Formats: sequence, structure tokens, C-alpha cells
Amino acid sequence: MSDLPKNAQCVLKILESTDSLTTKEILEIAMTDKFAKICIDCAGGDTFVAAADQLVEMGLITKKFGKGGYRWQLVKD
Amino acid sequence: MALKPRQVINAMNEYYEQYPACGGRSIHKFGEEASNAYIEAREKFAKFLNAADESECIWTRNATESLNIVATSVKLPKDSKIVTTSLEHHSGSLPFIERARRDGLGIEIVKARSDGTFDIEDWKRTIDHDTSLVSIVHSSNVTGTITPMKEIAEIAHDHGALVMSDDAQYAPHHPLDVQDLNVDFSAISVHKMCGPTGMGVLYGKLEHLKSMNMFFYGGDTVSDVRFENGKILPEYLPPPEKFEAGLQNYAGAIGAGAAAEYLLTIGMHEIEKYERSLLEMVLERFRDMEHVHILGTDDINIKTGLVTFTVDTISSAHDVATFLNDEYNVMVRSGWHCVGPFHYQMGIDPKRGTARASFYLYNNRFDVDTFLSGMETLIEASK
Repeated sequence: MSDLPKNAQCVLKILESTDSLTTKEILEIAMTDKFAKICIDCAGGDTFVAAADQLVEMGLITKKFGKGGYRWQLVKD
Repeated sequence: MALKPRQVINAMNEYYEQYPACGGRSIHKFGEEASNAYIEAREKFAKFLNAADESECIWTRNATESLNIVATSVKLPKDSKIVTTSLEHHSGSLPFIERARRDGLGIEIVKARSDGTFDIEDWKRTIDHDTSLVSIVHSSNVTGTITPMKEIAEIAHDHGALVMSDDAQYAPHHPLDVQDLNVDFSAISVHKMCGPTGMGVLYGKLEHLKSMNMFFYGGDTVSDVRFENGKILPEYLPPPEKFEAGLQNYAGAIGAGAAAEYLLTIGMHEIEKYERSLLEMVLERFRDMEHVHILGTDDINIKTGLVTFTVDTISSAHDVATFLNDEYNVMVRSGWHCVGPFHYQMGIDPKRGTARASFYLYNNRFDVDTFLSGMETLIEASK
């Protein structure tokens, strides 16, 4: 995990302790004190979401579009 | 970020393949060719802006650097004030806010209206004889609204203030005539106008550039550096060289010149008209989409070819961008677009953000239809 970029590490850490989250919820959590030190770019959000998208490509998380937008979820073994 | 035409790529490849040398310092053939191409590129760019003299065009890394050079180096009277707006890109406001903090100058913000336009009366009220500089975005990268620059420049000059025009969004899409607008400075971003990344231009009236302090010091900025009585004594060159220290991005400048020439050959009036025809298509269909809310005016006569919006069935604009990219291969930008103050002013949480679709000369009606179909599917799927 430490090989991943900071934004990606942050997304994984946020999703570790929850079932699934919307994009807005992830960004809100990312901006809290607990996570602000791990990630960068969460204010604008676009590069942060791009990092989440890369995690989807790597098979580490999933995203599903539905009512209200996307929900992101950790892939559990 | 605009796509790059073959003419720009060829011009840059030609430099790297046929005369890859430093301009202005080497006497060999490659050096001579590089110097000539570098000079020619500046002439092309000066023509693009209708600058009175090519020495008024300084190559920079980007519009942000252009704005920072002015904010840092222009001479402003003690106790004067700088005026800027709530619609500025962070690169247009922060350098001036920091300058004001550095020198204890006043700073006043003209608030944009909710449609991204300005009330000219606000400018008349705010610009007074204490105002030394006005920094304004010419065309907003969020609302697309075009500022009445000529009118504001006149008000500023009547009060003895300088005008810094942020033309990053305006220059690629509209005819830009710095002499007619009578602005003192203009900042341009080349990557938005079909040119290479990492290139920008600072236009400045020669009299101001001559009197300004330098931003960087070093090689290629001097006519002589003597050593007398144990002291190093530099004599600096006039503009543009005094602002272009060290090895330059020759390929970038040549690419920028090629981009300027390419756009002028097509015609900036033609480009403006064409983009507005695409924009009109989008705005018409958007008016019928009840869940879409446009940020900024829908008057195409005072708007650049872009539309920024929110979708009330979606909790984040990033989801709009992700969906259109994944499902329709349509690339739009999402977030706060480096314009935090206006998002806060409009009560839009930056985490929710806004989505922005931009159109340029290479887009066509099919592209617009694809985007709009994507929007319809997105709204249906998110309800």
C-alpha cells in the first residue's frame, strides 16, 4: 500500500472502515483532520477522484453508478 | 487543455530534429537557426495580440508565472490599493493578495453577480485615486462570462491605475487586441490555445516593462558583467531579455508561435462565431433539462465557448465527469476549477463542485450531441 500515491492511500484508508461511500462522502472524510495529513488535493477533488479511479483499475476498489451518483467500495478478499 | 494541431507538433519536432540548439548565444548553424526561429515565434505572438512591439511579449512558463511577475515586480505606490474580483482564478488573485500583504497595500474585491457578470457601477465605486492596479479576468474559466475590459481599463486609467488582464481563457477563443483594449499587462496560457504545455506569455506595455524590477536574474539578461575593484557590476538588457533569464524553452516558444499563426490563419472571429454556434446548441438543450443548473450567464454574446453546471440528482460534479468519461468518452472538467471564492460566493460546496464542458474549433455538432446524450442518460440513471 505504501507504494501507492498519497491520494490513493487515503481513499483506501477511508474505505477500510466502511461499507460503501459516495464521492462527496469520501471527499468530506478526506478533509477531516484524521486524513488531511495523508492525502493532497482533496479541496478541488478532481485529482483525488482520479486516484480512486486508478484503484478501480487495479481491482482494489469498485464503483457503481446509481441513484445520487457513484458509490465506492473496498474489494474484500 | 486544447488539442495540438499538426502544425504545432511539426514546428516543435523540426526544432528538435533539425536545429536543436540554444538561441541567442551560439554562433554555429544550429544556434543561428534556433535564434531566428525564436525571434520569429515572438513576432508571430506579438501579431496575435496586436502588440505594438514584439519586445512587449515575454515568454513565461504559464499565465500564472506571467501574473506573478507583474504582482511581484511592478512598482506600486506605498499606501495604494489593488482591486481584484471574486471571479478570479487563484492565479489571478493570490499573487496580488500576497503582494498587498508583502508591502502593506490595500486590497479590495469587486464581487461578481451570480451570473458571472459585473455591475459597472461597482467598478466606478471601487476604483478611486488610491487604486494603483486592477487585476481582472477577461473571460472567466468558470462562468465563461466576458468582462467589459475596455470600459474597466478606461475607469482605471482615469484614476491613474494600471490594468492587469488575465487572458488565459479569453485569448484562445476571441480576437485579442491589447492596444485597442489599452490594458497595461496581459497574461496568456499557451496550452489552452493549441500550443505546448509549460508555455505562457506576459504582455506588457514597453514603458512598464522597462521600469519594472526583474523577476529572475542570471545568464542572458545582461549586456555586460564587469569585475572592478573587487565588485561584480552587471548591466542588464532591456525587455524582453531582462525577463528571460537562463536557458529558455526554445521548442515551446516555437510551438507557441506556430499555435498563434495557426489560429490567426483560421481567424479568431471565425473561431469565436463557430464556438458560439456549438454553445448555443448546448444551452438550448440544457434549458429543457430540469435537473441541470447552469453557473453563469446563458447569453452567448458575452460568453466564451464553455458551460459550467451542476446536476441536482448527483451529489458530486466529479460523478458527472466520471460517468461521461467512462460511458461516453466525453472529457469534462470537475471540481472548483481553481476558483474557490466564486464557488463559496454561490454557496456551492467545493466538495460537490461544478462540471465544465468546453468547446473549441475542433469540436463539432456530433461531439455536442454525444455530450448531451450522455447528460440525458446520466440524469435518468441517477434519479
